[in-house]
Amino acid sequence: MGWINVVVAAAFEILWVIGLKHASSGWEWAGTLVAIVLSFFFLIRAGEHLPVGTSYVAFVGIGTIGTTVLDMIFFGQPFEWIKLVFIFMLIAGIAGLHTASGRAKVNEGSGGQ
Amino acid sequence: MTWLYLIGAGIFEMIGVSMINEWIQKRVVWPLLLIAAGFGASFFLLSLAMQTLPMGTAYAVWTGIGATGSALFGMLWYKEPANTGRLISIALILASVVGLKLIAP
Repeated sequence: MGWINVVVAAAFEILWVIGLKHASSGWEWAGTLVAIVLSFFFLIRAGEHLPVGTSYVAFVGIGTIGTTVLDMIFFGQPFEWIKLVFIFMLIAGIAGLHTASGRAKVNEGSGGQ
Repeated sequence: MTWLYLIGAGIFEMIGVSMINEWIQKRVVWPLLLIAAGFGASFFLLSLAMQTLPMGTAYAVWTGIGATGSALFGMLWYKEPANTGRLISIALILASVVGLKLIAP
């Protein structure tokens, strides 16, 4: 449950990071503000199921993957192999964090995720 | 001065993240207000730093201080797990984020 909230929070984070960079009309700024509020709402909910440090670091990591990829696809940033290397390192780290937090929960005896 | 802005931004980010823990434990209103105030002050100082530093550099230092500090603070103060797998994963994520921000324009 916690991880779904992290992913949704990060998706809204990607929207507002793009909004802060590219918003020009009042509606786009309003949407950016809504995305900020929603991303923190889901981040806080994630913290109810996962250690807050885990959900925050994963939130930052997934958000960075999303903004880096969208910058390359839609906003004219050049593709570079080093970016791909960092993205794979990020995915490995997030997968590791997912595994580590699952194990920690089981050790506490509360089970599940 | 720019570096003071960035250090301040990182500290406010740590406060914002810590207040998520306080809200979850206490369920009272003040941590929610401090989450908003902490992140608000953090983004404001970050934007001040970005006036003189390249955006990627400012963002990398901000993440380096704020997110790393928040993760460490969570382990030390809120007793979040600090097993090897978690430490390596967090280090890998934060190093990659800082790397990506540093190569961004």
